[in-house]
Amino acid sequence: MKGLLTRCVTLALSLTVILAGCGSKQDSSTNAGGASGGSGQSGTSKVSMVYWPGPESDAMQKVVDAYNSGQGKTDGVNVEMVLLSRDGTYEKEAAMMSSKSDEVDMYFTASYIIGQHAPSLDALDGKVNTDGYLKSSVDSLRMNNETLAIPMDVSNHFLLYRQDLIDKLLSDSAWKSKYGEVSQKVLGQTLEPKDPKDWTWDDFIAAAAFFSQEYNPDSPTKYGTALQMKNLIFNVMIWDDFLWSSGGSWLDESGKPQLNSDAAKKAMGIYSTIYNGKMTSPNSTVAEYPETQAALQSGNAAFAVQWGAAYDELNDPARSPNIAGKIAVAPIPGEHKTHVHALGVGLNKYAKNKEAALKWMNYLTTKDAMQIYADGGGIPPIAEVLNGLGEKKPVLPLIAEHVDKYGYSTPIIAETQPIMLKLAEDLSGAWAGKDDIGKALEKAQSDVSETLSK
Amino acid sequence: MVYSDKAAKWVLSFPLLLFWVVMVVFPAGYAIYLSLHDVSMGQGMSSFSGFGNYLEILRDADFWHSIGFTLEFALITTVLELVFGFLLALLFNRSFPGKRPLLSMVLLPIMVAPSLMGIMFRLILNENNGVATYFLSLLHIQVNLFDPDLVVPLMIVLDIMQWVPFTFLIIYSGLQGVDPGLYEAASVDGASYWRTVLQIILPVIAPIFFIAAFLRGIDAFRTFDVIYVLTNGGPGNVTKTASIYIYEAAFKSGQIGQAASASVIVAVFLLLLIPFFVKRLSK
Repeated sequence: MKGLLTRCVTLALSLTVILAGCGSKQDSSTNAGGASGGSGQSGTSKVSMVYWPGPESDAMQKVVDAYNSGQGKTDGVNVEMVLLSRDGTYEKEAAMMSSKSDEVDMYFTASYIIGQHAPSLDALDGKVNTDGYLKSSVDSLRMNNETLAIPMDVSNHFLLYRQDLIDKLLSDSAWKSKYGEVSQKVLGQTLEPKDPKDWTWDDFIAAAAFFSQEYNPDSPTKYGTALQMKNLIFNVMIWDDFLWSSGGSWLDESGKPQLNSDAAKKAMGIYSTIYNGKMTSPNSTVAEYPETQAALQSGNAAFAVQWGAAYDELNDPARSPNIAGKIAVAPIPGEHKTHVHALGVGLNKYAKNKEAALKWMNYLTTKDAMQIYADGGGIPPIAEVLNGLGEKKPVLPLIAEHVDKYGYSTPIIAETQPIMLKLAEDLSGAWAGKDDIGKALEKAQSDVSETLSK
Repeated sequence: MVYSDKAAKWVLSFPLLLFWVVMVVFPAGYAIYLSLHDVSMGQGMSSFSGFGNYLEILRDADFWHSIGFTLEFALITTVLELVFGFLLALLFNRSFPGKRPLLSMVLLPIMVAPSLMGIMFRLILNENNGVATYFLSLLHIQVNLFDPDLVVPLMIVLDIMQWVPFTFLIIYSGLQGVDPGLYEAASVDGASYWRTVLQIILPVIAPIFFIAAFLRGIDAFRTFDVIYVLTNGGPGNVTKTASIYIYEAAFKSGQIGQAASASVIVAVFLLLLIPFFVKRLSK
């Protein structure tokens, strides 16, 4: 009896496993192409595209849904987003790329890592039309004269400032007089307050000092500004604005490092003057995007060079009750250069469904697709779409304008991210006054040279 | 069918052996293989490079700095955690009212994920919205704990806060196993409490101490999460641990081969410590 029972249980389990196998086969065929792509029974090809979770993928999911239920049916393509963890997306992609995997058809990428992704991506020139995009965003995903990905979401920086405080500074004679005193003390010259749109870096420092209680005990804010000084590549992107807007760059025209240039020394000097002069919180050594937001939201800082995406949150009464409606936008001081990088999607060189993926990519470049993306909360680098949403989100037309007029991308080479890592490490110590500026820049120069020579 | 004892041992230990091969031997072997090749992210294996990666790492001042900092960090935190853990264990080795709920509270920090601990302190110590800075400001105390001169002690304090409960737990279990007769005998002989603890109890639980020191020492040497979340190894490279160095080399710079060789060097370094502890434990 016991043996019979055992045989029955074994048979039942075996049948369950076999039927489960059949079930999963059926599922994958109805899913048009199966997990690894290919054509399904209905002739629909499945395209799998890696994305990272967050607002970008939330917006992209709306585009995917619209495509799958509309144009995708005509194209015979069904798109599936593969969401990896936000922090580990590039690491997991790197593992797939290293093994030349065909598991996914499209990779998620970004300007600062496109150089490392380049060997695993197909060039898209002649296959996808990128004419509608803002040029600097397309350029930020090009390497060796080849377009390696199409931009989906653009990021840049602004000088975000307290309009109410600046208005008072420009109109109140007592404040003007104090501003002159403070600027004389900090810069050795008496400056007149200016509209932030016209600020030089000296104006930036003078205003930072004026709005710091260290120099002006009556200042309504504790600190003038909020620098992001944590050892982090995204903070190097912010510092790059100071470098580029002082007339510098990482590399000269021949591709040699020029981190010991006068412009680099000036950019470092601004950070060090502000940090050592207590015009930013001493906590700035561990600050990045959220800490800068907190400094502005709490009313502790009067202005900051910050990511464009921050503007909406700062002007939202629910999230920033102390300052909502008081934040305005100006270009980066000096030469007004703003760092631009794009998040985008590229075609896996080893993809199984390249033809189908290209149909989807061509759909992504349409205004309709990017309109859905923008409505879903994304920032597509298409001026027409951004300008059209100005009433709903005033910052979007400003992004379009600034990216177009002042946008630059850091050199797009295989070593872009390693260089940023080195700069973050070499310079963050000097920003905080731990290391000498000259020595830090010489080390950066030498480290970047070594990185490029590998 | 009757198996011999020897065959039965192999059959029974096969699952564990298989697990060990898959989870330890293969990754370690593959890491050594990668370390001998020129491998970069996205480009796969390009060529056999012999000991090139090792030479590159050994010549890198940043690597040695990260090793130096990690050693300093691991040594200080391990010693202090053992001392505080021991003192706490002595305290809890007696009866007092509210001991049980207090014991649960003491153990709470080890339940928190280290990365979460980092995020918590990032919020608590933030000048603009942090609880700690708010209360300090009420007392007119202005201190920047993230100052380059204070950031290392801060990281050490945070590690101690999180892991003293771990050393406490191990030492406390050791104290619970001590024969109560020893205390009585010492008392009859007129030994003071501290003399009893230092000269009688401590030698008895010495192996437990070594276990706690070994586990915490190795773990402190691998520290990553809290420091990565709070400072990312900065300012500059002041708080860069060997783990952060290896992570950045692999996943940020994309130099998988070099990261693998750095991992092998660190692993060999840690393996050198094992005979010392094994010798102590087997005494």
